Amino acid sequence: MDYLKLIKRFIVIAFQDVLAYRMNFWISLLYSVLNLGTGVLGIVVLFSQVETLRGWTLASTLALLGVYLTLGALRGLFIGPSLEALAGMDGEVWTGQFDFTLLRPVDVQFLASFRHWRPLALLDLLLALGVLGTGMAQMGQTLTPGRVLAFVVGMAAGLLILYAILLAFSALVFWSPGFLFTWLFNALLQMARYPVGLYPGWLRLVLTWIVPVGVMTTIPAQALSGDLPTGMLAGAVALALAFFAGATALFRTGLRRYASASS
Amino acid sequence: MTASQIVVKNLCKTYRVPEREAGVGAALKSLMHRVYRDVEAVRDVSFEIARGEFVGFIGPNGAGKTTTLKVLSGLLHPTAGEVRVLGFTPWERRHDYLRRISMVLGNKSQMLWDIPPLDSFNVLGDIYHVPPAEFKRTLDELVALLDMEELLTKPVRNFSLGERMKCELVAGLLHRPDVLFLDEPTLGLDVSMQARLRRFFAEYNRRSGVTVILTSHYMADVTALCPRVILIHHGQLLYDGALQGLAEKLAPFKLIRLALSGANGQAALPPEADVVEQENGHLTLRVPRATTPTITAHLLNTLPVVDLSVEDPPIEAVIDQIYQEGKVEV
Repeated sequence: MDYLKLIKRFIVIAFQDVLAYRMNFWISLLYSVLNLGTGVLGIVVLFSQVETLRGWTLASTLALLGVYLTLGALRGLFIGPSLEALAGMDGEVWTGQFDFTLLRPVDVQFLASFRHWRPLALLDLLLALGVLGTGMAQMGQTLTPGRVLAFVVGMAAGLLILYAILLAFSALVFWSPGFLFTWLFNALLQMARYPVGLYPGWLRLVLTWIVPVGVMTTIPAQALSGDLPTGMLAGAVALALAFFAGATALFRTGLRRYASASS
Repeated sequence: MTASQIVVKNLCKTYRVPEREAGVGAALKSLMHRVYRDVEAVRDVSFEIARGEFVGFIGPNGAGKTTTLKVLSGLLHPTAGEVRVLGFTPWERRHDYLRRISMVLGNKSQMLWDIPPLDSFNVLGDIYHVPPAEFKRTLDELVALLDMEELLTKPVRNFSLGERMKCELVAGLLHRPDVLFLDEPTLGLDVSMQARLRRFFAEYNRRSGVTVILTSHYMADVTALCPRVILIHHGQLLYDGALQGLAEKLAPFKLIRLALSGANGQAALPPEADVVEQENGHLTLRVPRATTPTITAHLLNTLPVVDLSVEDPPIEAVIDQIYQEGKVEV
């Protein structure tokens, strides 16, 4: 498969790039551990006071944090670096460097989404999977193959939604090339650290259906703990596909606006 | 004549650009109410280019050269007009089309900066589906032609501009394009590197039969490489033909060089003749093309002429005049 071969090539290049700057490795490691530490600490402190919080136990909340961190790590691994290279004052659309992406005989959206990798995010991914694993281990016997399967599907839907939202925000670069629109989204994404059920009703609706950051984390975590209401998984998949289609359409409309930089 | 590989008919491209006056007040006003202005970058340009031709695309800054190249390479949609390159409509950006063209830009790099060029080349090889054996053969050939063996394994970040340009050329030619767009490839290079790249372009064009459109502000590039030039100014095509014919057709004047014996004959010159140079009895006059024969006869009759020659002005001077005056009287 050509696209897989290209992805492999991009990853190899990224590893070579990262090895050129050794110090970055240690700083990234420190950052990952701090990010993880503060997240876990908050939850442990909370659950030392109460047993459950609106039906969420320490184990299921840890699993949710694990899902949140895993999605964040996957974003940092390739979606983020690739899409963020488009926007901003030194971004490819502003400088006209995007010309070279358009000239390649490869799908533009694929290239824009996969060409830059940040291998140091693998550290985040390992730590995130560790938290997720700890949460799952604490659930113990209750994990059934059916639940794990539902979890994997929910996780895939969550990742697709995250990608679609980032793609849509990045596509705005074609209307305003200097601005890093994904910053707007980052503030909202923080809310996905906690189960949507903990938020007031109206916010819960927004986080589930309008800017579905809640769906990304809550649904996979609920799938693991068996608390997923019927139909929600199918709803999440449908939502993910709709968001993906919408974001792709927006990106393609934006592409037609691209005027390249002067000379 | 071979069938045309590039056909451009009545190409127009208009940009819509926001416009505002200087100052904070105007900036704030433009936040609420933005005024746009239409800029016609290319106006009704038509030409055809046959396979293997090496065509120079010249014109002053902002003439519309790069815009035209960007339409031809599929980066921009035109506002009006018809364009076919290799039988494709460029802005549809079909992969079969993109695999057969290449664009090398003097002011933009497609290399990855922190790794050796060989790694960037490998990525391009995969992107363009170049079979490994062909990839190696092409790379070896280009590296030999450009004499850059020792550069392959050093990080691009440390390269000089000339070394980096060699890499850009390899990157642009690895997939053996049929049509090559060169946009100011010698920009900022020293004289000997310019000459070296010129030799490379000529040799590569001869060997591969690639069709090339070159834009450059260095007339030496154009005179050395392009039997045919297309001149555009203010988005309009002013001339399309042999380089030698450019002066003949577009310069409304000729130069008369005189050697005089003894006295300075300036007082006897007809009013249409401008003195361009005057030194030790040698005079160079600029005269309107149409009146050249009568002025020459007049000079021979009235001045102690030892030697006289009539020439077309040098190409640089013609181009300079066209660029400055914006139009020529043909």
